[in-house]
Amino acid sequence: MKPARLWRLANANLSRELGALAVSAGGVALGIGCLVFFLALGRGVQRVVRDVFPVSARELEVVVPQVGVGSLFGEVRLDDATVARLRQVPGVAEAFPRLALRVPAVTRYNGLFFGREIRMGLEVVGVGISPDLIGGDARFPFVDAGEDKPIPVVVNRRLLEIYNKVFAPQRGLPTLTDSMLVGFQFPIELGRSYVAGKTLPGSYEASLRLAGFSDRAPLAGLSMPIETVRRINARFGQDSVGYSSVLLRAQRSEQVGEIASAVKRMGLDLDESERNRALQIGAAVELVTLALSLLAALITALAAVNIAQAFHAEVRERTREIGVMRAVGATRGDVATLILAEAAVTGICGGALGVALARLGGLLIDRVARNGLPQFPFKPDTFFDFRPSHVILGVVIAVAASLAGAFFPARAAAALDPARALSEG
Amino acid sequence: MSAIELRALRKRYPPREPGGAPQDLWRGLELTVGEGEFVAIEGQSGTGKSTLLHVVGGLDRAYEGEVLVLGERLRGLSDARLAALRHARIGFVFQSFNLLAELTALENVLLPDYFGDGVPDAERRAREGLARVGLADKASSRPMALSGGERQRVAIARALLSRPPLLLADEPTGNLDARTGEGIIDLFRELHRDGMTLLVVTHEVRVSRAASRVLVLREGALFPDPRLEGSA
Repeated sequence: MKPARLWRLANANLSRELGALAVSAGGVALGIGCLVFFLALGRGVQRVVRDVFPVSARELEVVVPQVGVGSLFGEVRLDDATVARLRQVPGVAEAFPRLALRVPAVTRYNGLFFGREIRMGLEVVGVGISPDLIGGDARFPFVDAGEDKPIPVVVNRRLLEIYNKVFAPQRGLPTLTDSMLVGFQFPIELGRSYVAGKTLPGSYEASLRLAGFSDRAPLAGLSMPIETVRRINARFGQDSVGYSSVLLRAQRSEQVGEIASAVKRMGLDLDESERNRALQIGAAVELVTLALSLLAALITALAAVNIAQAFHAEVRERTREIGVMRAVGATRGDVATLILAEAAVTGICGGALGVALARLGGLLIDRVARNGLPQFPFKPDTFFDFRPSHVILGVVIAVAASLAGAFFPARAAAALDPARALSEG
Repeated sequence: MSAIELRALRKRYPPREPGGAPQDLWRGLELTVGEGEFVAIEGQSGTGKSTLLHVVGGLDRAYEGEVLVLGERLRGLSDARLAALRHARIGFVFQSFNLLAELTALENVLLPDYFGDGVPDAERRAREGLARVGLADKASSRPMALSGGERQRVAIARALLSRPPLLLADEPTGNLDARTGEGIIDLFRELHRDGMTLLVVTHEVRVSRAASRVLVLREGALFPDPRLEGSA
C-alpha cells in the first residue's frame, strides 16, 4: 500500500470520525501538553538555579582543613610553594590563589549617588584575587598601584542584581547598570570596624575605584588585586604569606574527581558548600520534574487506553468495510497499516496540539509572573526553556502512545475473517 | 479451460450445542464453470449460496475439498497471494453495495487502486467505468446522494476497475426495484458478451434468465435447473 494512497484513505476515515478523533487526540494532547510543559519548566528552573548558583564543572576550591592533624601542627599552609605543588597535580590547568583582607574595613559615603543624596556606612569584606582570574572583565587596570592611588575593585555581577532587585527598591535608590558604575570611586577606611566598634592602630583612609564586574569574582565582598591585599595585611601585621584558598581549574571536567583526591592526599581540603548547594537544588528540581513528567506519562498512558477503546469500537463499526477492502484486494497487513496510520495521524494531531498547549500555558504563566510577582534577584523573563527537542519528543511520544493504543485493535482488524466481516458487519 | 472448479467441496459448521454433531452445509459440491460462462446459482436461504461465493473468492478458507479459480489452487495460496488474486482477477458485487460513505463515487470505484500495486491508469479507467454504467456525471457524488440502482452501478464499476476475468455477484438486484434491477441485468449481459465469466447468486428468476446456466443449491448439493437452463 503506497503512502499517498494510505494517507488519502486514512484521512477519509478520520474525517468521518472527527468526534472520536477529537476525543482521542484531546487525551493525547493533555498528556503531551503536561509532559512538554513540565520538561520545559524543569529546564527553565534549572537555568535559573545555574544563574543564581553558577558552578563550574571544571573548578574546585582548595582550603586549609579547619580541624586536622596537619593544621594542628602547622604543617599545611596555602603558600606559594603549595600553590606551585597544586599546579603540578595531573589534570590541573590553572591555579588562582585568593587572599582574604584580614583587617576590618568600612566605607562611608555621604553625598550625591546618581542623583540621590545618601548617607551610608558599610562594613567591607575584601578578597584579593589574581588578575588572571577575571581576565578582561576589568575595564581599568586591575593591579596594585601603590599606597596613594585608588584601589581597583571588581564586583560579582550577581551582587549588582541583588542591589537592583532588593537593596535599591528598599532604600529608594536608583537602579544601576555596569556602565554607570564602572569608574565610580568611593572612600574606604582600613583598620576600622563598625560592627566591632573598634579602630586598629594605624588605620587609614584610601579610595576604591570600581574597575568592572565579573562572574569570576567571589560573590561575597569586593575583589581587589591580590598584591594590594597582601600589602594591606602586611601593613597591619597580618599573615601576608599564606592564602585563604586556591581555585583550581581542571583541564577537563572528568578530571575533577582525581584532582580532588590528590588535593586531599596533600592534607588540604575542598570548600564544596556552594557547589553542594547548587547540586542539591538542581537535584531537587530534577526530582520534581521527573515526578511531574511521570504524572504526564501516566496521563499519556491513559490516553493510549482511550485510543485503544476508541479504535476497538471503530473496528467493530467498520467490520463490513474491512470485509469490502479485503474483497477488493487488501491484505491483512494493509488493514492493520490503515488502522495504525489513522492512529499515527491522531497522535500527530494530539502531539502538536499538546505542544501548542504547553507553549501557551508557559506564555500565560510567564505573563502572570511578570505582572503578578514582585521583583526579586535573578527573576527570569521566562521560567520555561522550550526547545525544538521538546516538540520532537512530544510528537514522537504522542505517536508512540497512539500506535501502542491502536496496536491490538489493528491486530484484531487484520485478523477479521473477511467472509464473516461481509456477512455480519 | 475452466474458470472455476470445485471438487468434493465440503463445509462444516461447529455443533450448535456442546456434544452435538457438526453441521454439514455441503456434502461434496462439484462444479465447473468455463471461461466466459454466466452461471446463476439459486437456492433457499441458508443453503450456503453467499458462502460459496466467498469460498470461490478466497474470502472463506474453512472448507474441505479442492477449489481452483483461474488456474490457481486456493488452498495453497498465502494471504498476500489471495489478496493479489482478488485485487487483479476477481471482481465482487454485493447485495448491499458496500460503498464507503465518506468517499465519492469516483473514489469508491478507485478503492482497489489503494491496495497492492494499485491499478494501472486507475483514474482514467474509473471514469470510463462510471461512464459505462451511466454515471459519468455522478463521479463527485457521495453514496448518500445516489439512488439504490446508482449505488449498485458504482459497486459494479468498482468491481470492474482491475478488468478482472471473473465477476462474483451476491444478490446484485436484491435491494433494487424491478426497473433498476433490469438495468443491472442488462449490464451483466453486456459483460458476458464481452467474455467475462460471471457467477451470480440470486433469488430472482429474471437474473437467472440472463444466465447461460442455472444451478440450484439444495440439501448440500448443486443441481441443474432444467426450467431456465439456456434461456438467455
